[in-house]
Amino acid sequence: MKRLSKILSLSTVVVLLLPALALAAGGPAKDLIVVADTRVLEPGPMRYFADLYNTNTTLFAVWATVMTAVYGCFLGFLMDFLMSRTGIDLKSRKIIEH
Amino acid sequence: MRISKILTSLAFAALLSLVAAGAALASEVAQGRCTEYNKDAATITIEEYDLNFSKENPYGKPTGVMSVFDAKDAKIGIPPAPGDVLRISYKPEGSAKQALKVMNVSKQDLRKK
Amino acid sequence: MDASWLYLWMPIAGMKIFWPGLVLIGFSVGCIGGFFGMGGAWMVTPGLNILGFPMAFAIGTDIAHIAGKSMVSTMRHSKFGNVDYKLGLIMIVGTMAGIEVGAQIIMTLERAGNIGTIVRWVYVVLLALITWLVFADYAKAVSKKKKGDVGEHGAEGITWYKTLQKLNIPPMVHFTAAGFTCSAWLPIGVSFVTGVLAGFLGIGGGLVRMPALVYLIGCPTHIAVGTDLFEVMISGLYGAFTYSMKGRIEMVAVFVMLTGAAIGAQIGTVATKYARGYGIRVAFGIAVLCCMISIILKEFKMDAAAAVLILGTIGIISLWICKITFVGAAEELRVKKAREAGA
Repeated sequence: MKRLSKILSLSTVVVLLLPALALAAGGPAKDLIVVADTRVLEPGPMRYFADLYNTNTTLFAVWATVMTAVYGCFLGFLMDFLMSRTGIDLKSRKIIEH
Repeated sequence: MRISKILTSLAFAALLSLVAAGAALASEVAQGRCTEYNKDAATITIEEYDLNFSKENPYGKPTGVMSVFDAKDAKIGIPPAPGDVLRISYKPEGSAKQALKVMNVSKQDLRKK
Repeated sequence: MDASWLYLWMPIAGMKIFWPGLVLIGFSVGCIGGFFGMGGAWMVTPGLNILGFPMAFAIGTDIAHIAGKSMVSTMRHSKFGNVDYKLGLIMIVGTMAGIEVGAQIIMTLERAGNIGTIVRWVYVVLLALITWLVFADYAKAVSKKKKGDVGEHGAEGITWYKTLQKLNIPPMVHFTAAGFTCSAWLPIGVSFVTGVLAGFLGIGGGLVRMPALVYLIGCPTHIAVGTDLFEVMISGLYGAFTYSMKGRIEMVAVFVMLTGAAIGAQIGTVATKYARGYGIRVAFGIAVLCCMISIILKEFKMDAAAAVLILGTIGIISLWICKITFVGAAEELRVKKAREAGA
């Protein structure tokens, strides 16, 4: 583990140097813009989010973050509920730490 | 259990406020071959393509419809040049088309990244 | 035969993706992560990239799924366990700054047009390191066992933190739950470095943060575990936010994977009840190694081989973990029933 942290901090330095390398190689270029092709989507949630992606990035980002969090919570509750019904004893398990 | 309750209620509050924030701006998307990019007037002209994608026409077939977009406030990625296939999201304002984002489809084939 | 139903349309990236691959990646990440007690996000970015996602989308989607998964585990444990909130809050500063820097590096590389190759090679180096550590650890354990040495995890005398804690750069902060005093810059620095890696690779960062908390900051292990979990959640949520601001996220894929991961994680954690020993580390090492090889295959444009290798490996290991769980659980329920019948 100590070796790991040592080597990983080194690799971080390398990662930090990468953009300098990239810039030296190619020079600064324009940001890539992505437009979702809403022409192929039926009206509905998918279309709504693709539209949002094209028009209001900030609201899209807030939505994406919140929905991920909410769905995570929902799955957490659901799984807890389902696992408690299986009858497996989940309390006596030792948590193995690394 | 307390923290999970707090987190859930926070999440739901955020969700509700977002629903209240309402619908997305009405916007449309056009794709086609750029015929002119006028930097001074900030207009982009494309010949629109349809949705018949195929091996020969991966970006759709030309329809012959020419559209002019006002790109004054648009976010433009790789600068378009005549001949590039562009995908533009725009807001229709009367007869004018206000471009929001311009994607240079042919010059940034995402699949290669 | 018409195989189009096997492909799901990704509305933003504008491409068709083999959705059973997405489900399998999500499920395996949950399963393998739950079983080995180590996040599995390192296989998601390469996996998504191999399935056809552009690299920046793969990273953004991976980091968003981490946010969701950390919410699941938070819900599941109902609490963070032993979190030093003061330490956690101070580290948020570094974590968020680090993630942002990592994401900016990704965007710079994308502009320069060499993002795929660079991120893939960084991953190869990282996974090679993990493989080496896992097998070195295994070899050490085996040789110790042969010598009859039972003393595990003895204090190896790593005392960097003693020196680091003495660094007197104001503001000095006392962390009550963790029980030490140090310069606030130490945790901020550690979390910044971790954040950069997390934002760049689309991982949770526990792999780096945990050892750093223990060996560099001098945090007691149980506090480090809880604080790390807290930090992963923050890191995932901020990462999801910043990557969606940059438009490099595919929500459909996040949801599909998250569903698979939540189910997989249950099976994986239950399996730890029935399986012990060092042998499982070998399986983990093999998973990492195969993932690394498939990244190299992808780099040399052998996409099909790469997809088969990575999906095959994680599929087989997940099946094996499922078998452990189901056999073990069936046995436990049988014993329980017999006991109830006897009583």
